[in-house]
Amino acid sequence: MERLELKEIQRLEGHTDRVWSLAWNPVTGHNGVPLLFASCSGDKTIRIWEQNLSSGVWSTKAVLDEPHTRTVRSCAWSPSGKLLATASFDATTAIWENVGGDYECVSTLEGHEHEVKSVSWNASGNLLATCSRDKSVWIWEVLPGNEFECVSVLQGHTQDVKMVKWHPTMDILFSCSYDNTIKVWADEGDSDDWQCIQTIGEPNNGHTSTVWALSFNASGDKMVTCSDDLTLKIWESENIGMQSGGGFRHWRHFCTLTGYHDRTIFSVHWSREGIFASGAADDAIRLFVDDNESQVDGPLYKLLLKKEKAHDMDINSVQWSPGEKPLLASASDDGTIKVWELVSQR
Amino acid sequence: MDDIFDSSLNLEETHHKEGYNQGYSEGLATGKEEARQVGLKVGFEVGEELGFYKGCIDLWVSAIRADHTVFSSRAQAGIRQMEELLQRYPMMDPEDQHVQEIMDELRRKFKMVCSSLHIKKIEYDGYPKAAASDASSLEF
Repeated sequence: MERLELKEIQRLEGHTDRVWSLAWNPVTGHNGVPLLFASCSGDKTIRIWEQNLSSGVWSTKAVLDEPHTRTVRSCAWSPSGKLLATASFDATTAIWENVGGDYECVSTLEGHEHEVKSVSWNASGNLLATCSRDKSVWIWEVLPGNEFECVSVLQGHTQDVKMVKWHPTMDILFSCSYDNTIKVWADEGDSDDWQCIQTIGEPNNGHTSTVWALSFNASGDKMVTCSDDLTLKIWESENIGMQSGGGFRHWRHFCTLTGYHDRTIFSVHWSREGIFASGAADDAIRLFVDDNESQVDGPLYKLLLKKEKAHDMDINSVQWSPGEKPLLASASDDGTIKVWELVSQR
Repeated sequence: MDDIFDSSLNLEETHHKEGYNQGYSEGLATGKEEARQVGLKVGFEVGEELGFYKGCIDLWVSAIRADHTVFSSRAQAGIRQMEELLQRYPMMDPEDQHVQEIMDELRRKFKMVCSSLHIKKIEYDGYPKAAASDASSLEF
């Protein structure tokens, strides 16, 4: 069997404080468009990074240093790649538009009473979700002229909400929290009637400490979650069609990966090729894949590789790039971002 | 045949009973007064909050009456829902189990309407603030 390794392509410096999160622009990396991603930091700025097509070298394309007055915790590109949403501890979410290579702040979403922790666009790009330390999750509709209107304020979590993420194909929203649960939200009626349709907690084989992040596989029938309880958990659902209100609404525990991390797992991201990466407070990156040779009752996913000392400090975010040959980017408390390539070891 | 020592033998019990009765009636009086003060305070807070919403809604409804395109249809729906919630609030029955439910829903809708109307902050001294999560989650 071939041995794989994560090869560091470049170490990106520029942020002057911890780097919290990064997001690849989904429409880059094919048709001759150079790969591009945004990163956000405790230094209150957002940086746009682009790869040079001929040299392959990464450099800062833009630094967005207004209007956020505190840490920028999370960022997300709209599916069209035209808009960037950034969530900040200043309780606002900013929307940036790429106008001929310049980034212009076209809207500021206000409503949360405390730090905004995460932001996510739905698959069609007409809905945006945000979550906050005020324990609420907000859903916004994208209106013409870069207007955003609040559709619903969702209350249900009993603590800080760490991340919101839309299902890759359906308008179903997922949130995970410091209250150790994952909640599933869907529009139950015909008019803005968003309700919590499932709470995945400890009694359902759920996590026993803060759930930090979640990610879906390409087909959207599996979800991976990572936690302060040092485990990764895989959940499954099916597309049962429109009869009972559409699919991917009810999730079951599939398997738990224990014993791979001994510090908090902050980030997890599933690639379209079926490899999921995890980044943790132990400064290491791990990759997992489906285990075809798994015995009955054996673990259904196996560790593909472990990259020790990937960073000097905690790894806050790991994200696979779009494109035919995905790269992995990692963001860390050490203030740097690293771009990695998965290659065969010689 | 009265025992001349009888009354002195029961002395302790008699005093105990007397003290208990005295304490009970005093406790009853101060407890009642304390409850009255709490009731006044909470009642005032609830009334103030409901009145605040009523004032905002009346103004918004008047604005809509003057120009029905002034707010988005989603904001108008929110305002109507708040109006209904206020009418349903059991003002005269504080022990009704729906009291908290309706108040939570009013607060939720108020946030949504304010956001739709691009109102940054309207509140009064003592407006209930949403409590943040535990301090231990503050940094991240």
